[in-house]
Amino acid sequence: MIRTILTTTALAAGLAAAQAQTAAEVLDTYADIAAAKYEDSLVAARALQVAVETLTADPSAQKLAAARTAWLQARVPYQQTEVYRFGNPIVDDWEGKVNAWPLDEGLIDYVDGAYGGPTDANQLAALNVIANPTFTLSGTEIDATDITPALLEDTLHEVDGIEANVATGYHAIEFLLWGQDLNGHGAGSGDRPWTDYATGDACTGGNCDRRADYLTAATDLLVSDLEWMAAQWTEGGAARAAVTDDERAGLTTILTGMGSLSYGETAGERMRLGLMLNDPEEEHSCFADNTHNDHYYDGLGIRNVYHGEYVRIDGSHVSGPSLSDLVAATDPALDADMRIRLLETMGALGQIKTAAEAGFHYDMMLARGDDGGEALIMGGVDALIAQTRSIERIVAALDLGGIAIEGSDSLDNPSAVFQ
Amino acid sequence: MRLTFIAAALMLATVPARADVGALLDRHILPGLAAFADATGALADDAAADCRAPALRPGLDAAFDAWLPVGDLRIEPSETGALSIAFWPDPRGFTQRTLARLVAEEDPVAGDPTAFAEYATDNYTCRLAATIAADLRRQAAALATAWTDGFAATLRSAGAPGNATYLSGDEALRAVYTQVLGGLEFTADQRLGRPMGTFDRPRPALAEARRSGRSLRHVILAAQAGHDMALALAGHDLPVTTAAMGRVRDAAGRISDPAFADIADPAARLRVEVLQQAVDGLHTAIAAELGTPMGIAPGFNAQDGD
Repeated sequence: MIRTILTTTALAAGLAAAQAQTAAEVLDTYADIAAAKYEDSLVAARALQVAVETLTADPSAQKLAAARTAWLQARVPYQQTEVYRFGNPIVDDWEGKVNAWPLDEGLIDYVDGAYGGPTDANQLAALNVIANPTFTLSGTEIDATDITPALLEDTLHEVDGIEANVATGYHAIEFLLWGQDLNGHGAGSGDRPWTDYATGDACTGGNCDRRADYLTAATDLLVSDLEWMAAQWTEGGAARAAVTDDERAGLTTILTGMGSLSYGETAGERMRLGLMLNDPEEEHSCFADNTHNDHYYDGLGIRNVYHGEYVRIDGSHVSGPSLSDLVAATDPALDADMRIRLLETMGALGQIKTAAEAGFHYDMMLARGDDGGEALIMGGVDALIAQTRSIERIVAALDLGGIAIEGSDSLDNPSAVFQ
Repeated sequence: MRLTFIAAALMLATVPARADVGALLDRHILPGLAAFADATGALADDAAADCRAPALRPGLDAAFDAWLPVGDLRIEPSETGALSIAFWPDPRGFTQRTLARLVAEEDPVAGDPTAFAEYATDNYTCRLAATIAADLRRQAAALATAWTDGFAATLRSAGAPGNATYLSGDEALRAVYTQVLGGLEFTADQRLGRPMGTFDRPRPALAEARRSGRSLRHVILAAQAGHDMALALAGHDLPVTTAAMGRVRDAAGRISDPAFADIADPAARLRVEVLQQAVDGLHTAIAAELGTPMGIAPGFNAQDGD
């Protein structure tokens, strides 16, 4: 085995010097785009924070609508970062704080009677911390009198070790802005009244001040979490260093992120599973009915990483030498194939988005026996799986191409390539 | 130490020129799916005759036993098929919730009550079990057909003109090899990892099929499936892999509770940890003894998501 690798390296030596430079540039572009995406996510989250401050200071229907708009806008850059999640341990370890899903929302606030109470899987599924300033957890009294970022992050989030106890991040905020979607497979999203944030007698749903505190704390936490992640990708940041230190491992990271998000996460966990369960809440943004955009911008994020070109939320471009360039230098036909697959995925996800924006919402597509909805969703699933096969081909092609290798796990343990 | 041993063994092993995806289909996957279809047919017949729980248990055990050899495949027809045949893990409690709702509402989905008049006209749960068994038979037959009449040909014709899924034999090989290793990862991380939880918070209630006391048996059968598929692919003995499977059996043999219900006991937990390490060891052995000589690394896994 060792001799084989040495031979390959020796044969590729002449090529490797030239390609090493290219690989380094590709990784720089990848990190530059990450920095831009997380900074955009931060900028948009700060706008959400302002909208939440405005809402809680003087609640009105218009201000709730403005906060919802800010949330929807904040999702656009964030979803495009998800391609960085798998493969980058720094992102994956952190991601659960900002985008955990699915959630048992009864942990946070009041829910409809049909939601049910505690289950075998989650004894705290209906805790309702907004209505309960103190509660008992495994025999210990928990003081939740002051709803602070620290309470959400350190005590409530994934409390009792249950991942569905999501107390922080975009989807907790989404629930506080929209409320439960009680329309089942019918049209319409959550319809939380603005008066859930009203003061005095106008307050609906009870504990409006605690609800406002929760919304404020969750939004503040989202901003600080995004500040931290944006810093990891700047010059000298740990996430940037992790991908640029080792070219072979860095390229593997890019492809791992693209493939895992395409296949196991989006095509599997978020799309195929929801379709099988026929559950209208089994969609990524079930309160806001924004799932069509979640999938679409996930797909776009995968594509813009491959192309090494990202359009920022202010319209400016970040671009540079790309993985596409690197593949084209090794196998132009494979690069062309990958580009087509990515476009086909955007076409399929675009059809879902188009139908949803025309009024055929994602939860309607999930209804049992809805052939049109099933075809739309499976069109996205099939395209994502097809592009995953091309990503695997690129992994194989770049291995054969003799990309400069130093200290990669994959040398010692081939199966570590995708861990 | 173990790596050295594996490396030494590899130097002695005969490396196959080409692993045989066709043999894997013919010797393991297709007969396995047919046997599962037969077993679910017998279960459905049992349930039609007597849908009370004691009458169903032997058939359910046999159907589960037939499922495990092919149950961890998550590729093409089995991706959707496995989801609705053996939906687990179920972190949000869909199964419990759905069954509870059906029973509470006596949802007419359970079928025509007169069909089971002799035993069950007054017992909704009994009728529901029979209907689920009949549906399982339908699903098992559909899955076997989807492989036999469709996807098997796609795998066999890898690299042929017109096969847009697998452009070379190596791609088909990588696809099935990924299934072998993915199943073992699932067994170590989910079948064992879920009930283990953390030392401070073990979660025996999350063990697969714990109510029927089958959790440990599933681990053994799933590991055996990985071992058998590796051998079918190789077409010759894999001594390191077979030795690793022996260690899985030894470790399993020291576990006394078939549903890991005693996992909170530190000594019992340690025995389950040893089993988990043995399953990981089987994974390592197959990667070293089969994957590396073929020059194949696993591709993306359907269960890579969180």
